[in-house]
Amino acid sequence: MAEYYLDCMHEACPIPLLKALKQLSKMEIGDVLIMGTDHNCSIINVVEWVKKQGHAYDYVALGEGEWEIYIEKTR
Amino acid sequence: MIMLPWEKGNGRFTLRKPDSRKGGKPMGKEARDCREKLKSFLQRPWPYWLGGVLLAILNIILLAFAGTSWRITSGFLYWGAFFLEKLGLHPQEWYYFSAYNHGLNPGETLLNNDVSVITLGIIIGALISILLSGQFKLKPLKSKKQALVGLLGGIAMGYSSRISFGCNIGAFFSAIPSFSLHGWVFFFFLFVGAWIGSRLLIKYML
Amino acid sequence: MSSAKIEAIKKQRQVSHTKGRNQVPYGLGVVLGAVIMLWAFHSQEGRSLQWILGILMGITLQRSRLCFTAGFRDPILVGSTKVLKAVLIGLILSTLGFYFLHLQSAAQGIADPLQLPGQIYPVGIHTALGAVVFGAAMVLAGGCASGTLVRVGEGYAMQLIVLIGFIIGTLLGARHYEFWDLMLISKAPTIYLPSLLGYRSTLVLQLLVLSLFYYLAHQYDRAHSMIQ
Repeated sequence: MAEYYLDCMHEACPIPLLKALKQLSKMEIGDVLIMGTDHNCSIINVVEWVKKQGHAYDYVALGEGEWEIYIEKTR
Repeated sequence: MIMLPWEKGNGRFTLRKPDSRKGGKPMGKEARDCREKLKSFLQRPWPYWLGGVLLAILNIILLAFAGTSWRITSGFLYWGAFFLEKLGLHPQEWYYFSAYNHGLNPGETLLNNDVSVITLGIIIGALISILLSGQFKLKPLKSKKQALVGLLGGIAMGYSSRISFGCNIGAFFSAIPSFSLHGWVFFFFLFVGAWIGSRLLIKYML
Repeated sequence: MSSAKIEAIKKQRQVSHTKGRNQVPYGLGVVLGAVIMLWAFHSQEGRSLQWILGILMGITLQRSRLCFTAGFRDPILVGSTKVLKAVLIGLILSTLGFYFLHLQSAAQGIADPLQLPGQIYPVGIHTALGAVVFGAAMVLAGGCASGTLVRVGEGYAMQLIVLIGFIIGTLLGARHYEFWDLMLISKAPTIYLPSLLGYRSTLVLQLLVLSLFYYLAHQYDRAHSMIQ
């Protein structure tokens, strides 16, 4: 099981989402992706997409406009 | 269950001073729950559909009581014209301002008019909202490429908004409810443009 | 929908709400500034209401994360129409509200559509051209007009640059306007639907079409979801 970290700080919409999609497509089932983002759209559109694809996810608000999103590829 | 000041366990009606936090008892569980609920309400985003409903209501109130319909990009033009006037130019003599009611109404200035005030209000409102939810953060530029694309994109949007009589608000969100066909045409071709933009985005910006 | 692995990683990274500088006092400070502005407007009719509505719009846009760009872009990029559906709901409601306002104006005897309340303008090739360029540009720049304003308020330096671009672009567009007017716009008709179909029919037709789009958007979103 591999862990990947994606730094999406200061990226404009919708780059964090696209980067996450690209990374997830390269990952194996069971791998985990960790995304650092400061774009408040991302916690919604990334989480929304991940939910629709059926993966496991969670996120933590670090305060002051930063979040860390965790996605485990389950299918 | 919130205890009212005059409720005491023994059923007698006596006015009681609410607990003061200064050196008084620590906050009870109810108060903590209340605070958590308020905090989460302030911090959690509202659902999209609620945003749509509220914007529609605000749009209607604006048209009904504030004497103007909602549009944004014209505000940018007036701000720009303000700067040009400060430089000694006379933009208000351009052909544009004499056509299709584009000019200022009597009593208006380039900074104090129907559009500019609302446009500035949106920026301030967003600032208030994000500060109150504790999520404000200055996000600097990531790269020169990002800045260049942003600048060119902004110029393109500004220019095209003049030709189509507005932006996503003026030529779409306010135009369709106004039963003007140009709003529908704008709606359709905005999708076409978004499709082209998405292709370019994936090819060059990812 | 977390998983055991994710919980383990969270514990391992020990990431938590570390940055907690309280921003509420700053927020209240800005509110105070806005109230002062409101007081400065009190002598001008309508201006104070516009200021309040603008601020409420800003709060709504920021809080609901409603970005029109996402409404048009996400169906194409990721098959998601949540934002588009919300925009359609907004359009349906606005249609109803504007309908009554237009009926009122018509009853007052305003015959020329251009004088009616709202945005009613000539439609033609210029509309299509402007929309295509605007659509492409908004996706690349990361936001449309409303989105840019909200992001400026949220502290994005990039959107400040986009805003400057907007100002330059509108000035250039206005400068060149005579050309476009002569070439395309002055030859284009203004089509106010109720003039063609009557008010009642236009309302029903518009609501039906918007509802149909809502249904289609909903189905499109479901079709792109792995979970049913």
